[in-house]
Amino acid sequence: MKLIFEESSLKNRLSIRLVFLSMIALGLTIVHVVLLDLISVAGITPDLLLILCVWIAFSEGQTVGIFAGFVIGILLDVASLDVIGVNALSKTVAAFFAGFFFKKGLESRRAGFGFLIVLFMCSIIHNLIYFLFYVKFSEISILPFFFKYGIAMSIYTTVFGVFILFFGLSKKYS
Amino acid sequence: MQKFIKFILKYKEYVIFVALVVMSFSLISIGDMNKIGGFRTGVIGTIGWLQRMFSWIPNPAALKSENSTLRELNFRLSADVTKMRHSLVENQKLRDLLKLRETSDNEAVVADIVGRSTVEMRNYLILNKGKNEGIKNGMSVRTDAGLVGMVIIASDNYSLVEMITNKNVKIAAKIQRNGINGVLVWEGGEYLIMKNIPESFDVKAGDFVLTSNFSTKYMKDIPIGTVIKVEREQGSLFFKLIVKPSASFATLEQLFVMINLPSPEKLQLLDEMEKKLKINKR
Repeated sequence: MKLIFEESSLKNRLSIRLVFLSMIALGLTIVHVVLLDLISVAGITPDLLLILCVWIAFSEGQTVGIFAGFVIGILLDVASLDVIGVNALSKTVAAFFAGFFFKKGLESRRAGFGFLIVLFMCSIIHNLIYFLFYVKFSEISILPFFFKYGIAMSIYTTVFGVFILFFGLSKKYS
Repeated sequence: MQKFIKFILKYKEYVIFVALVVMSFSLISIGDMNKIGGFRTGVIGTIGWLQRMFSWIPNPAALKSENSTLRELNFRLSADVTKMRHSLVENQKLRDLLKLRETSDNEAVVADIVGRSTVEMRNYLILNKGKNEGIKNGMSVRTDAGLVGMVIIASDNYSLVEMITNKNVKIAAKIQRNGINGVLVWEGGEYLIMKNIPESFDVKAGDFVLTSNFSTKYMKDIPIGTVIKVEREQGSLFFKLIVKPSASFATLEQLFVMINLPSPEKLQLLDEMEKKLKINKR
């Protein structure tokens, strides 16, 4: 009886967390589409929703992360008037990659600098997949493209990932 | 079957991942936005509304870029406006020339000024038309507004015009209102002077001055200018009229060369008369 009650409580907690994450995703999607231009530097913007995906995969596990990546990607595709599926694909792959760094019972790691490194790598993978659909490699040289859309965007996204780091740290010490 | 389920459960992350990637590719391959048109229209409307709500937030980077673009656009438009103004003036001049050509009984050749020279109070123009277009020495040159000068040398393709703003030039002129004749000269400056008009004659500022029928050099009835001042010459019984030329000499670009020459018979008669006078003097 106690076991059933604990299982039900866990499910409730997971549902509440999912609802909470969904609301964050929705809010970040609106911010991403409406306000992100305000912080663009030379046309480069951070990907706030990627940070959320990686954070979910990093803290909740690979399966939840993959689903989150797909759903958030679809949400962004619809809201940003992108080709439906492009963000879904790139964020799913990024979350899948981030999920490898999830270790059960070591959730406190999510507040560490390791998260930033994972975020940076996931961001590079995400950007390369995303821009693969838009860039004709015959028309541009690959190296500048890689530096601008692979490295620079990833660095900018990682810088914003620091906020998650602070959030994790405050959560850890609270 | 159990083995398969076990396999699926063991590698569920990979299975889910592959399934979602396949779904993503399927969605990408659909590509056509209209298939979710209604829903997307709503999304577009909502995003548009949100963007308008937050449009008050200044975006320095976008403003800088917009500013730069607007400056560039402003520069281009400014250049275009200058060009258009120039075209407008040119258009008006050409229209005036065309109107004159249509209304004039006399045949004329339109020529562009390609050179201008001033030597000690003698002003000359070089035109880009010459003998090949029928231009000859002695032909009057004018604008739509008034007399400019006379062709003194014509080559095959060019001609030299002696302007009326020349210290050696004397023009037989008349007041249009009452036909009073006199001689116009230029003594420097922007005005012409008509001398030796008896005080008893009716002249006043505003009178219009034309080339006279008596002129042996210029065609008759070409406008020259307007009397702007009537001065009494000191110690004499004559008026001195200050005439403002009708043609604007500073802005000349195209001119009409009047093909008609003064009557050769008339010139011959004058020549004979001069010869007789010389003989009588001897």
